[in-house]
Amino acid sequence: MTDVIQSTLDGLMFGSAYALLALGFTLIFGTMRRLNLAYGPTIMAGAYLGAYAFARTGMGALPVALLAVAGAALAGLYVERLCFRPFGEGAAIASMISSFAVWMQIEEAATLALPSHLNAFPRLAAAAPIEVGPFSFRAEHLLMLLVASLAAALVYWGLARTRFGLAVRTVIDHRRAAALVGVPVERTLMLAFVLASAIGGLAGFLIAASEAQITPMFGMWATTKGLIAMMLGGLGSVPGAILGGLALGVIEANAQWLFGPHVRDLVAWGLLFAVLALWPGGLLGGRDGPGAAGHGRV
Amino acid sequence: MLEVADVATAYGKIEALKGVSLTAEKGRITCLLGPNGAGKTTLMYTIAGILRPRRGSVRLAGEDITGLASSSIVARGLALVPENRLVFPHMSVEENLVAGAYQRRDAPAVAEDIERMYARFPRLQERRQQLAGTLSGGEQQMLAVARALMSRPRILLMDEPSLGLAPRIVEEVFAIVETLNRDGVTIFLVEQNAHMALRVAHHFYLMEQGRVSFSGEPGKLAQDEVIQRAYLGTRRPG
Repeated sequence: MTDVIQSTLDGLMFGSAYALLALGFTLIFGTMRRLNLAYGPTIMAGAYLGAYAFARTGMGALPVALLAVAGAALAGLYVERLCFRPFGEGAAIASMISSFAVWMQIEEAATLALPSHLNAFPRLAAAAPIEVGPFSFRAEHLLMLLVASLAAALVYWGLARTRFGLAVRTVIDHRRAAALVGVPVERTLMLAFVLASAIGGLAGFLIAASEAQITPMFGMWATTKGLIAMMLGGLGSVPGAILGGLALGVIEANAQWLFGPHVRDLVAWGLLFAVLALWPGGLLGGRDGPGAAGHGRV
Repeated sequence: MLEVADVATAYGKIEALKGVSLTAEKGRITCLLGPNGAGKTTLMYTIAGILRPRRGSVRLAGEDITGLASSSIVARGLALVPENRLVFPHMSVEENLVAGAYQRRDAPAVAEDIERMYARFPRLQERRQQLAGTLSGGEQQMLAVARALMSRPRILLMDEPSLGLAPRIVEEVFAIVETLNRDGVTIFLVEQNAHMALRVAHHFYLMEQGRVSFSGEPGKLAQDEVIQRAYLGTRRPG
């Protein structure tokens, strides 16, 4: 029993990073109504920028974090301008295909900059594991949970209370009506995209720093985890993203404890399949189909 | 107040507006009538900046607003109550009103205006926390009007406010139009329901197939002929 609780708690902590990944993905899907396939790679671009700086200068975790977030945000701006902005309302497929192309482009660029497969990343926390009763927690995971929770709470508050958050919510709910009340739709979409990429960048930093390493597989990995978490929680729903991320973390952690570490990804993909086949709306949308949960209701 | 000169708007190769010219005078109710497909909604969206015209100009109080982004046009005092209401379905009545005041920075005055809207539209107050998508058609129409008024526009554009509403509600809506106008709001109204529109209009235009085909005051032309042309278009021989 203790083991299950330990796994669940570990899963919740790692799941908080998944939640951030899903949150960024969802913000983009909710506003653009399109999947950004270059999402993971933009996060990787930020993380690689941090790794590059770390390799050259040995700077600490905090400056690397700032670089990772800024790098991801810039890469996100690049993707938005190139793939999502010029195509307008109708060309959903063109946007997604071009985001796929940019995914490849960013991955190539990253591996050119840092050719080795394994790249060092500053440790998130160097402390020893913390013992609370029968449970043991890695300091990195606790910090990850703390930072991710703060970030998620900030985004939530921002969406609900700020003028920009109102703009984003109106654009998600009804884009034309948003234009009619005077919301600058194009600018809002771009800023939401960049913000979503920055959130992803933070998630990427937390994950890479907790493992103290980053590989070129990171882009694809981040996209798939974010996608699965988002579908699990309910496509396009902000609370769903957080719920889905945490759930994914918990399920993976328990599966790993039961069957071993190689099972993690298999379980994640299996979960996606199960959701699509049985509960397409995810945890918050039920059987009603993808998108049932997602309406920007914060 | 509003001058439209030779505006042409197209969807790809299809020219929906073929050169429309009309004027809406300050302080008055101007109506645009016409059958389905005449291009009335296209014209409203072009004026509001949702669509870009291929040629022609739109002036608001003398200033050229042709081709400006919709957010800039709202900033200059024009608000559109669109066809089919287009309320924010998953936001509450109150949130819709707050959204209507998006461009305003004077929060206390916005709060006062919201209370004023509730006084003017008591049914909205009853449902202030309700999701707008669950309101009835008539209530959504009131909400759409109130939302547009929240930006304190100089001119209010209304696209088919009677669409899909029961006759009793339509009467209410037009009573609101008249009251607003008495309070000083300039109104430019598009309608298929020519009967109601002609009751309130100071001046009206008839639009057919992308062009203005008639301009006049109610009463100057036989009501029957106008209504017939508004609903069915000009009779062609054979």
